[in-house]
Amino acid sequence: MARAFFRRRKSCPFSGKDAPKIDYKDVRLLQGFVSERGKIVPSRITAVSSRKQRELARAIKRSRHIGLLPYIVK
Amino acid sequence: MPLYEHVFLARQDLSQAQVDALAENATKIITDNGGKIAKTETWGLRSLAYRIAKNRKAHYVMLDIDAPAAAIAELERQSNINEDVIRFLTLKVDEHEKGPSAMMRRSDKERSSRAERGERGDRGDRGDRTEFRAREEEVE
Repeated sequence: MARAFFRRRKSCPFSGKDAPKIDYKDVRLLQGFVSERGKIVPSRITAVSSRKQRELARAIKRSRHIGLLPYIVK
Repeated sequence: MPLYEHVFLARQDLSQAQVDALAENATKIITDNGGKIAKTETWGLRSLAYRIAKNRKAHYVMLDIDAPAAAIAELERQSNINEDVIRFLTLKVDEHEKGPSAMMRRSDKERSSRAERGERGDRGDRGDRTEFRAREEEVE
């Protein structure tokens, strides 16, 4: 499925109506934007707009601070 | 008065009653300093993503606070001293969330309506796909 739409530019998952709200408490949502190693996935891959990517990065860092997300997964 | 969200983590070997007492204590600090608590949410004993002060688990409590800055400063000062509180996070927010936060919603939805979560479930898969794509980009 990923291959078929390879070239198509996806729109930002946080824009448009009924888009999820970025929240440091929503671990499940944030988990999708973190690699298996626990790193934040770059927006060129997830197609998050730069403004939302900043918000997202901040939320992930907050989440890490209170132990909801890992800093690294070994 | 500004609105705040305060999350604190209590040591894993405390009982639920002791955690409630800590929350009670925090509430008291705020009210004594002229603020008020809009909501208290207990997330229960959750496992941590990494060890914090030799704890693998911690009791999470979130407070929605409407208080002057001095009250927050006092709360943070006392939290730093208290050894039962292993970590906390205080954020100034524009408005408090109505109803339960994402943390509470999550566990509810997992049990009741899976359909509504479908879209977000898909997002979880993105991890693999993106790495696949990333690799392809390197090839180019």
